[in-house]
Amino acid sequence: MGRAKAWLPWGEGPLLSHVVAVLAEIVDEVVVVSSADLELPELEARVVMDRAPALGPLAGIREGLAAIEADLAYVTSVDSPFLTPHFVRTMLSFGTAAAAEVEGYVQTLSAVYPRSALPAAEELLAAKRMRPLFLLEAADYRTVTEAELPDQGAWRGFNTPEQYLEAVREAFGETTAHLEVVGRARLALGREVMEVPVGTLAEVLACTRPSLELLDGERVASPYLVSLDGRDLVRDARVPIGPGERVIVIDAQAGG
Amino acid sequence: MHGFHGRYWRFDLSTGRGEMVPIEERVLRRYLGGVGLGAWLLHREAPPGVDPMAAEAPLVFSFSPLVGTPLTTSAKFAVVAKSPLTGMISDGLSSSDFAIAGKSMGVDAIVVVGACAEPSELVRGELRPTSMWGSSAAATEAVLGCEGSVAAIGVAGENGVRYATISNGGRHAGRGGLGAVMGAKRLKALVVGGKTQTSLYDRERVLELSRALSRRSLGPATAKYRELGTAGNLMAFNRLAALPTRNFQTSHCEDADSLSAEELQPLRGHARASCASCTIGCEHLYALADGRTTRVEYENLFALGPLCGIVDPDSVLAASHRCDELGLDTVSAGGTIAFAMECAEKGYLEAPRFGDAEGLLALLADIAHRRGIGDLLAEGSRRAAIRIGRHSLDFAPQVKGLELPGYEPRALQTMALGFAVGSRGADHNRSGAYELDFSDDVDRLHGDARSAALATGPEDRAALIDSLILCKFVRGAFDDLYGESAELLRAVTGMDWNGEELETVARRIVALRKAFNIREGWLPKDDCLPERFLSEALPEGTVAGTRLPRERLQEMIVGYHRARGWTDEGYLPETVVRDLAIDSTMEAGNL
Repeated sequence: MGRAKAWLPWGEGPLLSHVVAVLAEIVDEVVVVSSADLELPELEARVVMDRAPALGPLAGIREGLAAIEADLAYVTSVDSPFLTPHFVRTMLSFGTAAAAEVEGYVQTLSAVYPRSALPAAEELLAAKRMRPLFLLEAADYRTVTEAELPDQGAWRGFNTPEQYLEAVREAFGETTAHLEVVGRARLALGREVMEVPVGTLAEVLACTRPSLELLDGERVASPYLVSLDGRDLVRDARVPIGPGERVIVIDAQAGG
Repeated sequence: MHGFHGRYWRFDLSTGRGEMVPIEERVLRRYLGGVGLGAWLLHREAPPGVDPMAAEAPLVFSFSPLVGTPLTTSAKFAVVAKSPLTGMISDGLSSSDFAIAGKSMGVDAIVVVGACAEPSELVRGELRPTSMWGSSAAATEAVLGCEGSVAAIGVAGENGVRYATISNGGRHAGRGGLGAVMGAKRLKALVVGGKTQTSLYDRERVLELSRALSRRSLGPATAKYRELGTAGNLMAFNRLAALPTRNFQTSHCEDADSLSAEELQPLRGHARASCASCTIGCEHLYALADGRTTRVEYENLFALGPLCGIVDPDSVLAASHRCDELGLDTVSAGGTIAFAMECAEKGYLEAPRFGDAEGLLALLADIAHRRGIGDLLAEGSRRAAIRIGRHSLDFAPQVKGLELPGYEPRALQTMALGFAVGSRGADHNRSGAYELDFSDDVDRLHGDARSAALATGPEDRAALIDSLILCKFVRGAFDDLYGESAELLRAVTGMDWNGEELETVARRIVALRKAFNIREGWLPKDDCLPERFLSEALPEGTVAGTRLPRERLQEMIVGYHRARGWTDEGYLPETVVRDLAIDSTMEAGNL
């Protein structure tokens, strides 16, 4: 993806904020498990650190189960832009460990885990059995069929820039981002802000005058640097740019 | 000897006598020139624990092997002293004719010790009373310039303002109060000139390398400096929420674009200028409201503008010009005044409030003349905060006493580390860690051990560039700084340099500066940031909520020390002293 999924734009803010807001409509207690080296947007949620992010999602589920007070937890990954309150409510309504099975695949990150499964999670991690499915099995989970699921597709995630952009277009239609240039590029372009269609960073930068030579293949050309929303700095031009996002081109020789 | 002269001129103002002192070749090889040789001379000449303003305190003007060659940007010199602001090493760089004229005296450095009985000027070896006391540095240069190349202090230096500059040709060795050291010696001006040419080992090769570097210096790596100057930082920093505003209470200034190079240049851009021997021409002159012109740098704009809550271009340019006239470091002046403004808003002090441009202009003059509240603020923000009390030290924008430049540390966390561990205090030029923050190599909003380890790279490169000396703005024109620098030095000196040796030289210089500070009383607790940066989250914009917890900074500091091979606390182990061959005159017991 080339950038943190948590910060990808969705609606009025970062995707993580959107997912937390959906969950907060249904539950009183939202816990976000994150690695220590990722800055998060301000959230109406409790944030706990994943002590072993390298161990994969099971370790994160372990942290979450250890942090909650409720008996059951709906677990989702951050890349769930189509998640709905109705879907979460339905999954929790079974009152037990539950996971959707879609086209033969168990959706372990759109599933309900009981807090009582925490010891089993510890044992699985100790035994290096890292698949969340093992934890669902240990909790004797209920399979939820597609026919039982509301809001078809609510569990869908994405793993590539193209999949994210496809989801954006599906949700919002043809939307735009703000391309802002400062420094030398602004002097050359003669204006500061342009509205451009969402796309990869390369596609966004291609909306400027070609003579600016902002791109060098799949990278931002060395005299320049790009900031996304004034936060992350990127050179990889394959990263996706979301709706309403500010893409700011600055001179690479900042400072001095 | 080629490239070097193998000696320095030591002048004692108390006796009025000067002498040539030899410098062994091995010393020049280990410390080159500029800040490296300057640090070595300071360590040698300064009595341990000396008061920076005492007569015995040395003031070092250090040249370099590349001065006098046609290499672009090489006409530079370093001024080195124990800082009256920090009590630790301070090394300022300046440019242009003074470097060439000073080295043409047949010396690699000038060391001034002692103090004059009355305000004086030292003109090509002749010490005489001055009639320029009370005048600006520029006026002094205008009068004495016919006798040689002049470095002079303004009124601020005469009055012992702890962040007074030494000026030459409108440029300044700005940080750390070097002008106050000169003023304490009652030395208004140092005028240099001579006829000794620097011998070059392989003149043809030097010319060839010079032409190549000049060509590269006109490429994209320096385009920003040519087209916008450092003022081009302001709008970019504001977009990245890294522009310190209202004494670092926030990092975004709503109306700051009016001060940006992008907006000022079409309206007020007057001319470009360059130092002697420079092909870049980074100096951008802007028109003042009264028709005069002034040089504009980012640090002036940020410190006298958003940091003080001021965005009116006329006022900020006028304040910048006034600092130049008075001989004040703009960063420390702006930082100290912004601190006073916040104190005023909290009711701790009678002073101008944020946004009071007229108050700012008046206060600059009061500081330089030590009038009224200006007398307190002439001491810098740390000393002022200690006097004011009421926990105001928590928001005094300084490290080791030196005010922070225009880089918000919470938004640029590798730079935050650089500020904390910097040998001359909160300083971007010796650290260079901002290079990492402005890249995709680190997360600028979340420093970690990796960014700490990387931070030694730009600091080492800066130590080399500042000792060769070349301008840092040309650094991007090198593909292999160490290897190519070795080639330059081979052609100039005839000595058999290689890139690996220069990497060691750079680390040695960094370590020597640290060694000096340890000798002068540095303690691990001095490597820290003010409480504000460690306990308050950034309040606004896309970086809202970003924090730099104390524990994270401490982890980064330890990571930095380990990357250097120092102890976790920051002391230099015997092995490092031995491996770097830090000169034996630096007593190991003092490290």
